[in-house]
Amino acid sequence: MCNTYIPFQMKIENIIDENPDRSLRTFDLSFVKKEDEEAFKYLPGQFCEFSILGKGESPFGIASSPTEKGLLKFTVSRIGLVTNEIHHLQIGDIVGMRGPLGNWYPVEKMKGKDIVIIGGGFAFTTLRSLIVYLLENRADYGKITVIYGARTPELFIFKEELKEWDKREDLILHLTIDKPIKGWNKLCGFVPTITKNVEPDPTSWAIVCGPPIMIKFTLPVLSELGFDDNIIYTSLERRMKCGIGKCGRCGIGSKYICIDGPVFSLAELKKIPDAF
Amino acid sequence: MIEIKKKQFGDFIKNLMETYRVFAPTKDGKKSSFSEIKKADEIVDVHTTKSAKSVFFPQAEVLFNYSENEIEVPNLEQKPIALWGIHSCDTKGLLSLDKVFKNAHQLPNNKMYEDPYWNKKYAESLIFTLACNEPLTTCFCNWFESGPFDKTGADIFVVDNGESFLLEAISDKGQTFFIQSGFDQEGEHQHAVFSLKKKAESMMEEKQDISSVFETLNEIQEKEFWEEITQKCINCGACTFVCPTCHCFDVSDEGKHQKGKRIRVWDSCMFGIFTEEASGHNPRGLSYQRVQQRIMHKFNYFYDNYEEHLCSGCGRCIRVCPTNLDIREIVKKIIKRKNNV
Repeated sequence: MCNTYIPFQMKIENIIDENPDRSLRTFDLSFVKKEDEEAFKYLPGQFCEFSILGKGESPFGIASSPTEKGLLKFTVSRIGLVTNEIHHLQIGDIVGMRGPLGNWYPVEKMKGKDIVIIGGGFAFTTLRSLIVYLLENRADYGKITVIYGARTPELFIFKEELKEWDKREDLILHLTIDKPIKGWNKLCGFVPTITKNVEPDPTSWAIVCGPPIMIKFTLPVLSELGFDDNIIYTSLERRMKCGIGKCGRCGIGSKYICIDGPVFSLAELKKIPDAF
Repeated sequence: MIEIKKKQFGDFIKNLMETYRVFAPTKDGKKSSFSEIKKADEIVDVHTTKSAKSVFFPQAEVLFNYSENEIEVPNLEQKPIALWGIHSCDTKGLLSLDKVFKNAHQLPNNKMYEDPYWNKKYAESLIFTLACNEPLTTCFCNWFESGPFDKTGADIFVVDNGESFLLEAISDKGQTFFIQSGFDQEGEHQHAVFSLKKKAESMMEEKQDISSVFETLNEIQEKEFWEEITQKCINCGACTFVCPTCHCFDVSDEGKHQKGKRIRVWDSCMFGIFTEEASGHNPRGLSYQRVQQRIMHKFNYFYDNYEEHLCSGCGRCIRVCPTNLDIREIVKKIIKRKNNV
C-alpha cells in the first residue's frame, strides 16, 4: 500500500540567498532515487512537505516548473523552527520530501486566454513555477501580464530571472515597491493600486498569490474591473501537517486547503466562511 | 442468533484470541477505556470514559522510525483486531472516522489519500457491537437516526440478557465468523431482545428533530451568536479527546537528528496553537472561533461532505466538560434560532 506519510530523499544541489539579510533562501534539490523522480508528476501551484528528520516538516509551494526536469526548487523564509533548520542546510545534504500535494493553477483551462499574474513578497514561488511553465508553453497562451510587488527592491525573489523576463517582448512585467527609493526607476505603490492602474482586460484569467492582506485588497479591484469570480484564482496557506486531508489543521469551511486547494477560484472562496 | 452462556464466555474469548487481538472495555483505576485483553475477566460492562477510537487511531502512534536517513515503518502486518463490547454510538463513530481516513470524497487531482495505519486495522477488524441496555441521561444517540440497539456498522450484534450473550451475525464478515466458529443462527430469543430494546429506548430522553441544523448553520453569519452560545467553554479540549469522531492530530519528531521517530498525537481544534502559523498569524485566534469550528465541523462541514453529522450522540463531551457545557443545548439553540426566524 502507498504510504503518503513516508518522505523520499532529495539532495541539496544549490543554495541562493535571495536578499541581503539572508532571511530568504532558495534551494535547488535533486532526486536521490530515479523512481522517486519518475513518480513525481506535478503542475504549478502544488506544494510539498519538506522535512528534516528529527526537526519535523513544513509545507512549501514548489517554485520550480515541471518543465525544469530533475530538480525541485523551494524558497524558504527563515521564520520558525523547521525553516531555521532548513536555512542551516549545506549543498550535498539529504532531506525528506512528501508530495506533490494539493491542486494546481488552471493551466489547462487557461489555454488560449490572456493571463494576468499578481504576486507580492516571497509568496511569488508558485507564481515563478507558473510563469516558467507558461513561457515554456508560450504558444498555448495569449498575452501574459505580471504584476509583482515587494516592500523594497531587495525583497524581490528570483532577481536574475526578473531581469530576463523584463527584457522579453512576450511578457509584460510591472514591478512595484511600497515607497519610492533612490535608484528605483520602476513603479511605486501597493499591489492593489498598481493593479487598478494597469487595468488588465477582464476577459483575462487572473492568478493572485501573496500575503493575505494583499489578496484581500486585490480581489475587489479585479471584481471592479469586471473580472468574473470564476476566472480569478488565488492560493491559500495554512499550517498544514499531514497534507492529505486528515489532521484537520487546514480546514476552511467544509474544505481542506491541502487537498481541495491550495488553489481556489474566487467563486469557490465566496462559499467558504472566513476564508481570509 | 446464538447464545453464549456467561460461564462459557471465558472460553469464547480464549478461542477468539487464537485468530484476533481482542480489545474490550477495561478498568483503569476509576476510569475505563478500550485496551487489548488477555482474558475475559478483564472486561467490564460500563459506559467507557474514553471512546473506542483509540483501538484503531491510538492517542500516540509511530509513523516511522529513522536512523541517519534510513526510514523504517512499523510492522502493519499484525493479527487482526476483534473489538468486543463497543456500544452503537462508538461503532458509528468508527464509520465516520473511516470516511476521513479512507478519504471517500473526490479530490481535484483524482487521488485518494488512504491512511495505511488506520485502514488495514479497521478493514480487517471484527466489530462486536454490544447493545446498550442502560443508556445514561447524557446519551442522545436517538437524535441521529440511531438508538441503543442500533446494529449499523456491526459485524456481530450482541445483546446481554443477564445470563447469556445473544449474538447475531450482521455483516458478511460476521456471517463468515459464525460459519468458521460452527455457530448456527438458530435460536428463539427475539422476544427477550425486543423487551430489552424497548426498555433501553424508554430510558432515553425525547429525541430532537435535527434536520434543520445543517441549513440553519449555513445562514448564521454574526459572531454574537457564537460568542453567546460558547461563552462557558474554556477550550480545555477534553471534549475532543473523549469524542469518538474527533480526528485532528499533530505530527512531530522525537529524538535526535541521527535517530528517532516521527509520531502523530491527538491534537485539538480547541487549542489556539493548533492553527497558529510561524508568522504569528492565527485564523482561529479567539476562543469562540474555535468552539464555532468544532460545532460547525460536526453539524455542518462534515455534513456538507458526507451528508451525515460528525457526532454519534455518545454524550461523553457532556459528562467530561468541567464547565457543564452541554452540546445538546447548543444544538437546541441552533434549532430554536431557526424557528424564530
